[in-house]
Amino acid sequence: MKILVCIKQTPDSTVRVKVASDGRSIDAAGVTWAISAYDEYAVELALEHKDRDKESTVTVLSAGPARARDSLRQALAMGCDDAILVTGPSAETLAPLAVARALAKVIEETKPDLVLCGRQASDDEQGFVGPALAEVLGWPHVATITKFAPADGGVDAWKEVEGGHEVWRANGPAVLTVQKSEKEPRYPSLPGIMKAKKKEIPERDPASLGIDASAPAPEIVKMAPPPARGAGKVIKDGDAKAAAAQLVKLLREEAKVL
Amino acid sequence: MSANWLIVERRDGAIRRPSLELAAQAAKRGECAVLEVTGLEHSSVVPAVVALATRAEAEKPSLIHMASTPWGRELGARLAARLGSSFAADCTDLRPADGAVEVDRTMYAGKVRATVRLPLPAVVALRPGAFPLADGAPGPKVEQVPADISAEKLSFQRFEPTAAASGRVPLAEARVIVSGGRGLRGPENWKMVEELADLLGAALGASRAVTDAGWRPNEEQVGQTGKTVTPDLYIALGISGAIQHLAGMTSSKVIVAVNKDPDADIFKVADYGVVGDLFEFLPAFNEEVKKAKAQR
Repeated sequence: MKILVCIKQTPDSTVRVKVASDGRSIDAAGVTWAISAYDEYAVELALEHKDRDKESTVTVLSAGPARARDSLRQALAMGCDDAILVTGPSAETLAPLAVARALAKVIEETKPDLVLCGRQASDDEQGFVGPALAEVLGWPHVATITKFAPADGGVDAWKEVEGGHEVWRANGPAVLTVQKSEKEPRYPSLPGIMKAKKKEIPERDPASLGIDASAPAPEIVKMAPPPARGAGKVIKDGDAKAAAAQLVKLLREEAKVL
Repeated sequence: MSANWLIVERRDGAIRRPSLELAAQAAKRGECAVLEVTGLEHSSVVPAVVALATRAEAEKPSLIHMASTPWGRELGARLAARLGSSFAADCTDLRPADGAVEVDRTMYAGKVRATVRLPLPAVVALRPGAFPLADGAPGPKVEQVPADISAEKLSFQRFEPTAAASGRVPLAEARVIVSGGRGLRGPENWKMVEELADLLGAALGASRAVTDAGWRPNEEQVGQTGKTVTPDLYIALGISGAIQHLAGMTSSKVIVAVNKDPDADIFKVADYGVVGDLFEFLPAFNEEVKKAKAQR
């Protein structure tokens, strides 16, 4: 199976994100960039499939600034076969729907059997590009999956829903958005890192892809850290029974939530 | 181009609470068509997207909104792409803004709150619990739109329930959440957590440490790579409060934390903290809650 995984580079999840002085973006100083968490699960799911079926290949694709190349290289070091970067002067300002169109264009050229991406990016958390990409391609999509397996010439996908999983079958190409992989994403091996260093990562300029870039762009007008929560009341003295009674009293009479 | 649409979601025969919250809010704001796509049993969102898009091309609504449930988010994203509309998910507020709409939403797993301006036409998915629902509020007048099943390209195979599935309220919609962490020491100790959840009619949550260890199913994970929740009451039991967990629950109205370590980060966001041994405190607390409930 030929699998293509779309990844986005976002601030590492352990980074304390600070709002920049313009009040509408984040301060990039000191930010470490990484593959967005759910996209990394998508890479892992694809590689788990490749581990089982050596004939399969995994291509990683990203659209964004030039630094996104580092995240593609990380995915190559994890074991992906090749990578493509959509970048150029206009890449950073592409509206979300234009990003989906750019990715779709490259996907139409590379013709994978299956496209994976994270269920949402760790920065804007919109969960838009996966379903939008499927819509642009005219493909079906299955969202928030934790597993997939080839079935009858197509693919079965396990979609996480309240109370369990729904199993859905696609008989042709499909987009799957990944909730979580069965295992945690693997670390790159040393030989993997060496091999990845030597790989060419071809670049595509969105302006030359011939896509319609006239998509509506959401505009961030304000960003702020969440309001600080005041120091709460702490119960630390007395036995468990007294503490329990005191907490129930506070929740009933003061917070009025019981 | 002026009409507003609300797309509602039905489950087990009834319109879901997050849809009712939005219907009550829309009724306050004025004219809004309330639409339900029918014939979606075991179908993906695509037949709903196609049916709604066909209608939208005729009526040209300037705003289509729905609850930001898993279904609503998927539907909204795909519908926005099909219509070429702007889109925002998991919004906590929505206001008209001079030829556009403005929404409030969290980004970076709750580490940042943003106000975003969306050009019209827009598709907006709003977080469950973002608007209040008064008891006994009249239900909306719903217009049915048949799904376009010819657009379906997937086939539903089966449902595989999670072993721990319990018929509790879904995490993302719960008004009360009881969440357990590594301090509980093992999955066998969840009985007392479940007892409290049952007493409070709460959903169960968990820290990532706990879902990664396989003590609890993934779907209970709160925080980055899990769910972002905003209940009225969040009770964190034996959770130390890693930044990724805090990001997913600090918008809760009231936070209670129980932890042995007085320096645990969870106490920095808790309205009420109990420093003590969970295994002594929780059984006592369950008893007190039982008593309190009996008094009412």
